[in-house]
Amino acid sequence: MARRKFAALKRFLNYIGMEGDRTMFTWISASEGERFAQVIKGVTAKVKALGPANKMIKKIG
Amino acid sequence: MENIETKLREVAKGLLSEKKVDVIIGYEKGTLPLTATPCFVATPEEADKLVFNEFCTQNLAKFVHDLVTQHRESQKRVKPEDRKKKVIGVVARGCATRSLIIHLQERQYEREDIYIIGVPCEGYVDRKKLTKALDGADILEGSLESGQLKIKTSAGDKTVALKDVVAPNCVVCRFNNPIISDVMVGSPAAAMDPSTEYDKVVEFEKKDIAERWAYFAKEMEKCIRCNACRQACPSCYCPTCFAEQSQPQWVGIGEDESDTQVFQCMRLYHMVGRCVDCGSCISVCPMGVDLRNYLKKIDKDCFELFGSRAGSSMEDMPPLGKYSEQDKEDFIFNP
Repeated sequence: MARRKFAALKRFLNYIGMEGDRTMFTWISASEGERFAQVIKGVTAKVKALGPANKMIKKIG
Repeated sequence: MENIETKLREVAKGLLSEKKVDVIIGYEKGTLPLTATPCFVATPEEADKLVFNEFCTQNLAKFVHDLVTQHRESQKRVKPEDRKKKVIGVVARGCATRSLIIHLQERQYEREDIYIIGVPCEGYVDRKKLTKALDGADILEGSLESGQLKIKTSAGDKTVALKDVVAPNCVVCRFNNPIISDVMVGSPAAAMDPSTEYDKVVEFEKKDIAERWAYFAKEMEKCIRCNACRQACPSCYCPTCFAEQSQPQWVGIGEDESDTQVFQCMRLYHMVGRCVDCGSCISVCPMGVDLRNYLKKIDKDCFELFGSRAGSSMEDMPPLGKYSEQDKEDFIFNP
């Protein structure tokens, strides 16, 4: 069910013009330390490539 | 339609005098010409005010949920043996029955708590389209004769073809006849043509991401956060809406553009597998925000990804309440 929600969310965000790639979803077991590191490396690399988010940001002050 | 109205009143009178239902939710003539407004009928005498025509816009399933909740609240402090049952009758066209199915599937009330008076529907008049066709002139008087709206306006008499002002969601409606009903009034309406249903969405999808964002930002700038869309939507029935929660506060209540965008984005996203395209939110929006562009996309994705249309059958589980082994997995992040 979570996977369905994410599948729909990703498409919807892309459609409204937010970068859907910022939404990342995967499964990691508590025992998969190496895989966790690998995924986080992937996430940071992807976010770095996208640059800072500037949509739906609330400016306070 | 005249025929349907007489039959509808007869049926309503019968149900109320036989005490099969306690109240009937229907439409009555509106205070302005060429309008209809939701009404509650509790006695057989009142049943004469019921109407059903091309000006009935709102989805009545919303009121069913409201009444059920209200009744349940009122029975809370009553001894269990003294609790009364309340059966709510509702005049429902295709989209309203879809919303009722969604309520039933989401276990909001039981099937025997409601009595559905099904009516065929050939689409309703989009007030905004009509105002546009009349160049914004005030409607003083109007009548419908064989597919032509004869209207006396502040800028003179005008004739508008009914098919030119039918709401866009009705033109491509797939379910204009009730899906479930206890009693059917009138014969089934002719099917509409849903072939162009997603044309606009497909076109919009092809646009550049910056262009899509610009459109979203422009549309949401119009929003004044009046919450009319939420109040009119039959699928929006949370006792406390996320927009009003304060612990945690998901979204600010001010008029900051980011708050508006977040509110609309979240409300729209809550409609996955739940929007029946009844057009209630659009018809009540005072600012004319293009919500349908986004709701239709959600509807399209839901059908493409999960193969289900919101509330289209009692047996089909809501798409977000089940899964299938054939679901696509291309969205999963696997570095």
